[in-house]
Amino acid sequence: MKQTDQQAREAFREQCRRQMNRPLALRIKYGFNRVYKPVLDDAPWRVFRSTAEYRAWCEANLPEYLGFGRAK
Amino acid sequence: MRQRPEFRPAQAEEIARAFKAEKVQYLFVGKSGAILLGYPGTTQDVYIFPERSEANGRRIVVALRKIGFEIGEELERGIMKGNDFVQIKDGPFDVNLVFTPDAISSFADAKARGLQEGIFQVANLRDIIASKRATGRKKDEIELPLLESFRADWEKRHPVRLQSASNIAARKSRGRK
Repeated sequence: MKQTDQQAREAFREQCRRQMNRPLALRIKYGFNRVYKPVLDDAPWRVFRSTAEYRAWCEANLPEYLGFGRAK
Repeated sequence: MRQRPEFRPAQAEEIARAFKAEKVQYLFVGKSGAILLGYPGTTQDVYIFPERSEANGRRIVVALRKIGFEIGEELERGIMKGNDFVQIKDGPFDVNLVFTPDAISSFADAKARGLQEGIFQVANLRDIIASKRATGRKKDEIELPLLESFRADWEKRHPVRLQSASNIAARKSRGRK
């Protein structure tokens, strides 16, 4: 049976309540992960003088599916 | 693909501990900050909003080196100068130093509204959300309704009147009219 939007919202709120009840160590354990991200992960570090410079680099260089581009 | 040190989620804790030991002035921001407060999401990056000063930059460099980040001279200069955005991907954990996060007027203001979660200094959720909204990025736009929903429940449990920098600026602006 398909979940309604209202049911989905309530299910998410229930997830929030459960997660808030978990100790910090578990929030960290389940909240942080690492998956290779093309281009982004291919240099050991980058320094951008301005946020605008950083955004422009993201727009010009990162694959769109990573989501760093501006929402249209 | 570069070979990188083994990933351990607990490294977020190591960063916080090293920053505390070196007296780094900082706040966790972004989704990583929300996760520490109990947001049921996942992230691959730690976003840190440090106070912009040469002394604080020096403390950051010392702290990150102590926990295994390779900070060369050029990167060290970038951190010490407080360049707006510094990505560090040379440790087991991705760290982003964001010296000028969107929609947050000053470190002092954000720190005054900030939260302590265990050993972590975290920006308040309203600042995190306001900053994400201001970026206008696709990945943040998708996340915003969920973060707002989380905030509603979080604030019920922590009933302190928190205001984002943009809330305060709007109120000040209304007061001047």
